[in-house]
Amino acid sequence: MNAKSMVTILAVTYGFLGILPLFLGDSSIYMRILTMILIWSVVASCWDLIMGYAGIFSFGQVAFYVIGAYSSAILSVSLNVTPIVSIFMAGTITAIIGVIIGLPCLKLAGPYIALVTFAFQLALEPFLKGPLGKAIGSGGSRGIISVPPIHIFGMDFSSSELVPYFYLTLVLTLICSAVIVVILKSHWGTAFLALKDSEDFAASLGVSAFKYKLLVFAVTSFITGLFGALYVHYVGILSTRMLSMEVFTVLLIMIVVGGIGQYPGVVLGAVVTVTMNELLRPMGIYRLLIMGGMVVVIVLLLPDGVTGLIRKFSVFRMTKKRTEQLKHRNETHESSP
Amino acid sequence: MLKAINITKKFGALAAVDDLSFEVEEGQVFGIAGPNGAGKSTLYNLITGFYKYEGKIEFDGQNITGLPTHKIARLGISRTFQIPQIFESLTVEESVNLGGRFGSSGKYDSGYCDEMISFASLEQERSDKTDLLNLLGKKRLMIAAAMATKPKILMVDEPMAGLNALEIKQMTNLIKKINQDLNITVIIIEHFMKVLTELANPILVIENGSEICTGTPEEITSNPEVIACYLGDTHDA
Ligand SMILES: Nc1ncnc2c1ncn2[C@@H]1O[C@H](COP(=O)(O)OP(=O)(O)O)[C@@H](O)[C@H]1O
Ligand SMILES: [Mg+2]
Repeated sequence: MNAKSMVTILAVTYGFLGILPLFLGDSSIYMRILTMILIWSVVASCWDLIMGYAGIFSFGQVAFYVIGAYSSAILSVSLNVTPIVSIFMAGTITAIIGVIIGLPCLKLAGPYIALVTFAFQLALEPFLKGPLGKAIGSGGSRGIISVPPIHIFGMDFSSSELVPYFYLTLVLTLICSAVIVVILKSHWGTAFLALKDSEDFAASLGVSAFKYKLLVFAVTSFITGLFGALYVHYVGILSTRMLSMEVFTVLLIMIVVGGIGQYPGVVLGAVVTVTMNELLRPMGIYRLLIMGGMVVVIVLLLPDGVTGLIRKFSVFRMTKKRTEQLKHRNETHESSP
Repeated sequence: MLKAINITKKFGALAAVDDLSFEVEEGQVFGIAGPNGAGKSTLYNLITGFYKYEGKIEFDGQNITGLPTHKIARLGISRTFQIPQIFESLTVEESVNLGGRFGSSGKYDSGYCDEMISFASLEQERSDKTDLLNLLGKKRLMIAAAMATKPKILMVDEPMAGLNALEIKQMTNLIKKINQDLNITVIIIEHFMKVLTELANPILVIENGSEICTGTPEEITSNPEVIACYLGDTHDA
């Protein structure tokens, strides 16, 4: 997708979400849902960047989100760092841990990267609950209560101030989305795709796999950690329950619904998935079952998610025509002596 | 210009390249021949830093042994692959620009990348996704992207494999032009003796990873050992 279509889809989607508080601002339920759409859209975007573009099957994204949350909570509670500073420090800490996790992944093939990164997520819970976690201020299995809200311009941004918090999140969402678009459309983005498609050829053309793979780990874990931190100052409490499989599953559904490697499809995926998830809440235990069924249907019918659907019907007709022209040309060429 | 000194690469017990030495001089089209499994592609993988090996390779007097692949590319050695490698997610233009952006030691020169696209006759396909290209197109694209790095040596691995007679002629002309018009040293691995003897001089023949002989096309085609091991059991010539 070209930069212009990316920016258009992002502007329309986030613009639409951005005006909704004017109508729904009084409803705390709707405001919470809108806020979570923003947060999950960014976290899922990062996952799409590393998995869909760089082709690195990192399953550690939820762990990075939780590390960001814990880092900022510990910094603000134990060390009295003001939250607007601690969220960025948390992003930086998460980026450093992301690079450390990325290092062993450089030498591993796809499925093994998924295993290593997922094992990392599994190890995080006992770490945070155990004596080591307690020593750094994780609060053990009780977690951390009374994480202070973000306080800037003489205002509190927290779950008791839903509309201001939503707009603060929106600002950071827009900044991070812009960063993602710039990365994807710069030579970094091209290098990610080239390394995914053929690491050997890319390397022989001068692309350093080492540098660009670690770069994608750094960028995605920074943003993911930042949003984990942003979230913790919103809810005010934190425990290892955040590491649940459900978060992991729902994020994955967003990417599949949006289309893997079809940014900003994943943003639409987040809107659809969070909304569905809320609508299906009365269904109780059948909710995840229905969501799962939805994923199967989408994977089978729409391998490129909703982005593929949009593409089928509109702007991309031209490209398709050209594809057919070319196929025709190649066929006639191949049949000639 | 490129000098291999007693290089050996073992995969387990198998020595794919076995104590091989040779020297490529500037301006040559240096041919490499040998039966399947002789170690030709492995030799390319050693030169371009994909594997560790015993021995030493020098390029322009500099020891490049142990350097990572992307650094060797920036020093001026670029290559294509026997099994076409393309970037399915990128267009032709993006793929060639990638070479120009990352592989050349100087500043990124988009004009030169454009020239390489036309040089490889890919003008019409410039904005197409690369998986739309046919086999010849893919091979041309690998060459165009490799050339965009402004190499001093271009190494091609079985560029004629799978092509028909007309396409072989076009590919032969492209390689000739790279050597003669752009003055770039070429190393070519080729199974088709007829093509190789037309293009390359000298030619190095290897079998089981070691040298059988090196010589002019006339010398190697009349060498009884070469005929026995290579021409004897294949009828490509
Ligand atoms: N990565 C590898 N691991 C193990 N064996 C390999 C590897 N690459 C090549 N070989 C073996 O090395 C020998 C030479 O292969 P290759 O260089 O591809 O031959 P050629 O290009 O001359 O046909 C073959 O026996 C092949 O099976
Ligand atoms: Mg080979």
